Amino acid sequence: MIFDIGHLILLAALVLAAFGILGGYFGGQQRNTRLIQSSFNAVYAVAALVLVATVILWYGLLSDAFQLSYVWNHSERALPTFYKFSALWGGQAGSLLFWCLLLSGYSAIVAFANRHRHQVMMPYVNSVLLATSLFFLTLLVFAADPFKRVGFVPPDGQGLNPLLQNYWMIIHPVMLYLGYVGMVVPFAFAVGALMSKRLDNEWVHTVRRWTLIPWMFLSAGIIMGSQWAYMELGWGGYWAWDPVENASFLPWLTGTAFLHSIIIQEQRGILKVWNVVLIWLTYFLVILGTFTTRSGVLESVHSFARSDVGPYFLGFLVIILFGFLWLLFDRLPLLRGEHTIDSYSSREAAFLANNWLFAGIAFATLWGTFFPMFSEILTGERISVAAPFFNKVNGPLFLLLLLLMGVAPLLGWRHTSLAAFRKQFTFPTLAALGVGVFVFVVARSLYPMIGLAICAFVVATIIQEYVRGVQARRSTTGENALVAIGNLWRRNGRRYGGYIVHIGIVLIGVAVIGNEFYQQSLSVTLATGESATVGRYQIVYNGMQTDRQANLMEFGAQLEAFHLDSGQQVAVVVPKRNIYDKAPDMPTSEVGLHMSPIEDVYVVLNGWDDGGASATFTIYINPLTMWMWVGGIVLVIGTLIAAWPNPVRRRNESVRALAYATGDD
Amino acid sequence: MLRIHQRLFFSLSLLALLFCLSGSVPSAKSQDSAVEPPATVTANEVKDVADELWCPLCSGVRLDACELKACEQMREVIADKLTAGEPKDDIKNYFVAQYGPQVLGEPPLEGFNWLAWLLPVAVMIGGGVFVWRRMRGMIASKTTEPPPSPAAANNEYYDRLEEELKRYD
Repeated sequence: MIFDIGHLILLAALVLAAFGILGGYFGGQQRNTRLIQSSFNAVYAVAALVLVATVILWYGLLSDAFQLSYVWNHSERALPTFYKFSALWGGQAGSLLFWCLLLSGYSAIVAFANRHRHQVMMPYVNSVLLATSLFFLTLLVFAADPFKRVGFVPPDGQGLNPLLQNYWMIIHPVMLYLGYVGMVVPFAFAVGALMSKRLDNEWVHTVRRWTLIPWMFLSAGIIMGSQWAYMELGWGGYWAWDPVENASFLPWLTGTAFLHSIIIQEQRGILKVWNVVLIWLTYFLVILGTFTTRSGVLESVHSFARSDVGPYFLGFLVIILFGFLWLLFDRLPLLRGEHTIDSYSSREAAFLANNWLFAGIAFATLWGTFFPMFSEILTGERISVAAPFFNKVNGPLFLLLLLLMGVAPLLGWRHTSLAAFRKQFTFPTLAALGVGVFVFVVARSLYPMIGLAICAFVVATIIQEYVRGVQARRSTTGENALVAIGNLWRRNGRRYGGYIVHIGIVLIGVAVIGNEFYQQSLSVTLATGESATVGRYQIVYNGMQTDRQANLMEFGAQLEAFHLDSGQQVAVVVPKRNIYDKAPDMPTSEVGLHMSPIEDVYVVLNGWDDGGASATFTIYINPLTMWMWVGGIVLVIGTLIAAWPNPVRRRNESVRALAYATGDD
Repeated sequence: MLRIHQRLFFSLSLLALLFCLSGSVPSAKSQDSAVEPPATVTANEVKDVADELWCPLCSGVRLDACELKACEQMREVIADKLTAGEPKDDIKNYFVAQYGPQVLGEPPLEGFNWLAWLLPVAVMIGGGVFVWRRMRGMIASKTTEPPPSPAAANNEYYDRLEEELKRYD
């Protein structure tokens, strides 16, 4: 009964969303305040209804309502409660409902926060947000009903996919979805600005924070996904460039480009068309990513035909493509730049180069991800495009991007004089040379030397920027260094928080270089008591232990790692295999891991004989990997500093706008 | 004894492979039967070859880490070929001949696949030239800075208006 109500609630939300779209559009056109108010109310109502529907599905999952096809397929009685909770995003219908819940939640917050602001733009913003909700509600009502019945009441469910039964899988999808779905908001503002012809910097000012927050979630989600892959998939790496990963990475690339290029629009009034295109691309890639992961089109073109939701997505993508292009061409005359670029050695030029690289990486990633599909359609041949391709194509571009991250903050707006050039570049260049020579002497390899030297350059740039900022504050206010840093963050969080984000990226870069060039591995079969030597470690196998958990059997190999030189014990490492009751032919691997700032000892249990008398392992020594996770945390902290609302900054915004127009920073 | 065990395993694997190819349902290894390569070939030597090959059934999974029965059988074949003294490249070519270029992690440089490599390069160069020409055009037409545009002034006006409106909220 209650589940029938759930379905009806989704239907009601669909009708209300459609009504709100029309209310927003015609209200905006006719400046009809009652219709406009209706569009606001529709946003709130849709959010409330979708929330109720989600709570009903959660109730179904937690109360083992196996008469629902979704619960039957993605849960079981013995599943621990938190996995029953997270099973909401473990399957297709549930994850689409979760998408819709987050989107309608974002929409309600946006509508509420702007109920008295941007009066001309908001009706259209509401319409775009509701149109996206309408699409997902259509899927939920007609193609992927989460409340579909099995027809009888099965005694138990089939269980959740074992790969998803990992604590990272509770939080990682939530972060990723918050990032993914949140990117709809800046797009809605861009379309709102185009529709209402308010194409000055108003919408750009507004969406900066609405882009930063989803960007932070998306970044955190991607890094948590890497952490999951590292811990769970057991191949020694954290990023495989597989289609699902790429689907999350593509909007991150265009979103990052957008975050940078709106700075030039705000400061110099140029790149207006490009900014609108970039945020549209981000939105398009979000929908495309959801489509590819949900329809299975990239695994095989044939699975598209079997997919219930595929044709709907394709239709929606076509609408987004042509609808937006029509709107853009219609408004093109209003998007003329206000200034020009004065010099190649200016920050504007560096931002343009940044956008060129981000767009290039996004294109190469998109192209590589879809190439197997094109190849299958056009030549009938299945090709795999995996890490070797992406590393070769994107690797050099990322290196250039890293270099630019160091160079750009050293350039002034409009033009950099030769004297300023010398003053700015001396310290970072010396730091880069120092690290480069050191790496060459120690490791004698070219690529890591270049990569790490560039990392040093970026860090030196940021240190120099901070030192100068602190010195400037100290000379005027006399405050101590820590207070000065706090004030730099508070008063110009966007710039100094941005630098912290860059430090996070450098740390991730250092981890990638360490893993890419210095990973060691050994595959070995050991009898109890035998040992193997990898890198600086001797690893001893002490036998197998089994442990019964609620819905699985855990087999853990007991290993000890010793330092080769000193003979001291470094860690006890226990790689495991879990055999799930409901999926005995799909054992999962939990790696045994000892993490340290220098290198991780990472062991995978491949299999065993005679109850564990001997076992086969793959042992990896992964240098510097910990810095990837530290970098992720630093990145989130930096983004929070950059996005933190600041009353002083808000008051000064108009004053600064004038200062920028005259070329000061 | 070991040989009989292996042969039995080989035929079972072949069946599993056919099953996988027809329904593409992954069936993973059983927990208590680790692949024991022949005494002369170590697990590490097999891994050395396998980590340069890719699972023909999954997307983006390296052969040395793939859990499918089919991939276990492929690793078995690698072990056999290494025992027979075949060099690494010959073994890789054997798998390409058997399964097609899918077992390589990148498109081979031939025919239609050239496009996979060339298009990103062409787009980067094309985009770079476009950006550079636009920039050069702007720098060449550099004029003195015009006074703040009406749009910017408008913007400032609206900001101030909104700030005032907020006070009455």
